[in-house]
Amino acid sequence: MPQHEHMERHAKLHGRRFDAEERERKKEARMVHKRSEFAQKVHGIRAKLYQKKRFKEKATMRKTIAMHNERNNKHADDDAVADGAVPAYLLDRQGVSRAKVLSNTIKQKRKEKAGKWEVPIPKVKPVADDEMFKVMRTGKKQNKAWKRVVTKCTFVGDSFTRKAPKYERFIRPSGLRMRKANVTHPELKTTFQLDILGVKKNPSSQIYTNLGVLTKGTILEVNVSELGLVTTTGKVAWGKMAQVTNNPELDGCVNAVLLV
Amino acid sequence: MPVYNFKGMKPVPTAPELVDIVLMRTQRRTPTVVHPGYKITRIRSFYMRKIKFTQQTISERLSGMLTDFPRLNDIHPFYADLCNTLYDRDHYKLALGQINTARSLVDSIARDMIRMVKYGDSLYRCKCLKRAALGRMCTVLKRQKASLAYLEEVRKHLSRLPALDPNTRTLLMCGLPNVGKSSFMNKITRGNVDVQPYAFTTKSLFVGHCDYKYLRWQVIDTPGILDHPLEERNTIEMQAIIALAHLTCSVLYFVDISEQCGYTIDQQCSLFRSIKPLFANKQLIVVVNKVDQQPWESLEEAKRAMVQGLADDANCSLMTMSNLSEHGVSDVKAAACDKLLATRVDARVSGKKIEGVMNRLQVFNPAPRDGVTRGAFIPDSDGVTDGDVDMDGGNIRKTARELMWEGGGPGVWAPDYRDQYDLADDSWKFDKIPEIIDGKNIADFVDADILDRLEALEREEEQLVAESDAARMGEEPESDLESEEEAAVEAIRARKKIIKEKKLATNTQNKPMLPLSIRGKSKDKHDAGTLLATEIRKTMDSIGVDSSKMLERGRLLERGRKRERSLSRSRRGADDEDAAMDVDVSGLSKAALKKIKKEKGEKARRDLSQARSHSRPREPSQMGLKDSESVKSAQKLDRLGRKGWMGASGEGDTRKSVHLVKWMNTGKKRNGTHYQR
Repeated sequence: MPQHEHMERHAKLHGRRFDAEERERKKEARMVHKRSEFAQKVHGIRAKLYQKKRFKEKATMRKTIAMHNERNNKHADDDAVADGAVPAYLLDRQGVSRAKVLSNTIKQKRKEKAGKWEVPIPKVKPVADDEMFKVMRTGKKQNKAWKRVVTKCTFVGDSFTRKAPKYERFIRPSGLRMRKANVTHPELKTTFQLDILGVKKNPSSQIYTNLGVLTKGTILEVNVSELGLVTTTGKVAWGKMAQVTNNPELDGCVNAVLLV
Repeated sequence: MPVYNFKGMKPVPTAPELVDIVLMRTQRRTPTVVHPGYKITRIRSFYMRKIKFTQQTISERLSGMLTDFPRLNDIHPFYADLCNTLYDRDHYKLALGQINTARSLVDSIARDMIRMVKYGDSLYRCKCLKRAALGRMCTVLKRQKASLAYLEEVRKHLSRLPALDPNTRTLLMCGLPNVGKSSFMNKITRGNVDVQPYAFTTKSLFVGHCDYKYLRWQVIDTPGILDHPLEERNTIEMQAIIALAHLTCSVLYFVDISEQCGYTIDQQCSLFRSIKPLFANKQLIVVVNKVDQQPWESLEEAKRAMVQGLADDANCSLMTMSNLSEHGVSDVKAAACDKLLATRVDARVSGKKIEGVMNRLQVFNPAPRDGVTRGAFIPDSDGVTDGDVDMDGGNIRKTARELMWEGGGPGVWAPDYRDQYDLADDSWKFDKIPEIIDGKNIADFVDADILDRLEALEREEEQLVAESDAARMGEEPESDLESEEEAAVEAIRARKKIIKEKKLATNTQNKPMLPLSIRGKSKDKHDAGTLLATEIRKTMDSIGVDSSKMLERGRLLERGRKRERSLSRSRRGADDEDAAMDVDVSGLSKAALKKIKKEKGEKARRDLSQARSHSRPREPSQMGLKDSESVKSAQKLDRLGRKGWMGASGEGDTRKSVHLVKWMNTGKKRNGTHYQR
């Protein structure tokens, strides 16, 4: 206790008031009513927030109660010992058999082949050209209108060099260029921030694919070397496909799910 | 030199609180209205401002924390080490480092998102980006939950640490638990440290202050130290070790020779030896405590030699003391203070700074002119020694508090203030003074300076007597007036007095001035009664003069000139009458005479002038009134209306106070309740 713990010191020297416990009990008892009064009075965003908080509290409360009740519940005995003695030749049949592993890898292969285009987001809203491109007026009198500015996020490779302004029809603004994607591994349920290697397919149009436009449903190639995934042949895989799951131009980031 | 006071740190909010603070501030301090119809640049700047503002708020708050918390590398090593033991240096630095990282993360998020908003082409897109930006910043803050909670705990503890100055004059007590460190602290300071008969009552450093030689001394009470290796020491012991290691101070090592603390003298000596390296460059005193239980002289020879050996080894002094009997307490304090003071002065003198002072000093020793010794004059007024010095001597004057406890404690004993009376004779002090003598209350006759007054009165009387004697010797003063004249003078004086009083009574400044036209001119303002017709008749009759003509004349004057021509025509015939009247009127007052004279002159002038050929228009106030009756009634009403005019509110001043305002109290109530909107 440092020198200036005034409250504790005071309680130690002079004790607490005689009805301290009673007051605390009453305060707690009244808390329920106070809370209810507030819950009934509040409205708007505060009400939403309050209800959410209260719901969480209640959920944890219910879980705790359930946990305490568990020792009273009856459970089915799952691993009942088989009756009788097991013959010796059946003893090592337990656990995973080799045949099963093999079938798993076959399944995986088939899945990879067949499910190449079976993607998490099979259907997307098509993006029209006039939504995708903004007309940029050029010329001394600003009367030429042949240049287009991409309004969505794009991926531009490292080696890209702009063409001469005379030949540059499509402009991809540097502020909207993306280099990284937050990729979720669907089985591991974890997310990694990975480098984008390229845009494989934009479902809306081939032009968008060529321009590297990132919209919802776009298939990307991402660098997974950090993850340490191994191909069936034993090599370290470093390029993998992923599909964009959000609208990057609205969120300011690219979220994707890894296609496995 | 920095002052170590950690009380000024602002409270650190928890992560959800911080998020609330930041978002609330953004909502309140930035504009909230935007429409899709606005120009896109305006929409963009609206949302960019929000993002920027949030980022600024967050970094402001986080920077505040970073500057508030002391940096362990910059503060005094004593505090740095104390923080290390109490809060764990690594944990502390990590927490602050994480806060710093969070700040830069938020900055970079804001930068990126603002860049994106610059390309926003619709309100919806800008809004989505803003939402994402704020959300990401808040997520960063939420991740700092643990660090923020830890920092808040640290802040609370830091702010409750005693304000200990590492560089000042310090006395430091150390020793095993229960050897009497805290009791000594309570004896010499007002620190009011908890003293209990069990080990580790004192769990942290405590600071008290005492005075010695007109200087302020910081006294530090440390927790007890056990005799084991440094690695095994716990947090409580480590605080004592840190204080010993880092503070330049005078150390009092307490040894309990009665062994009531539960440790033998042997153990206490071995602790001394093990922590001896910490005493280097410090002024050390081995304090032999609790001599009331076990006198130092009657201690076993072996033990005494052991303790004495300690002091000899460390080349320091050994003092005996008892907190209970207060034997040697002030001696120990004085010795410790003196030692430290001497070294501090030595350090000063041998230092560089002294040069600058010494150059400016010049000491003169005047040569003695004769062989007479002139010592300091110390008056022995009440023959009482200074109570502070004589701790175990006998003849100390009793304090009022001691007298109180002897006399039955507070509430029973009351101080007798009679012995403080300042009287001419001391034997009068306790004399009894009766309240009532001969049925009279003495208090009614008591006067503090009655003697002075009596003396003054006697002097005055003497003077008067002397004057009257002198007057009797000379002639009596005599007036040269007749008795009638004197009466007249008396009358004049009385009248003058009345005039003066009237003037004083009526001529107050705090009244509204009435114009003469309204007020009218009174005939004799000092005596209204004399001009009433009845009064005149009475006085004239008593004199024996016929008053009827006089009164008629008076009425005439009052009414003004008659309109008939015939009268003025017959004026010459009435000359005699006029002359007779002049005589009659001579009894009137001076002002009236003056008025009459003036009137006469005017009359003569009017007579010479030409007669009017047109009728005069009526007075404006009488215009539109039918006849004299209605004029009269109008005048009466007017008079009545003026009656309460003086300063009070008139009929024009009527005012109607409003109790219910219609527009406030009728109609539908859209916003708020009936009582409040």
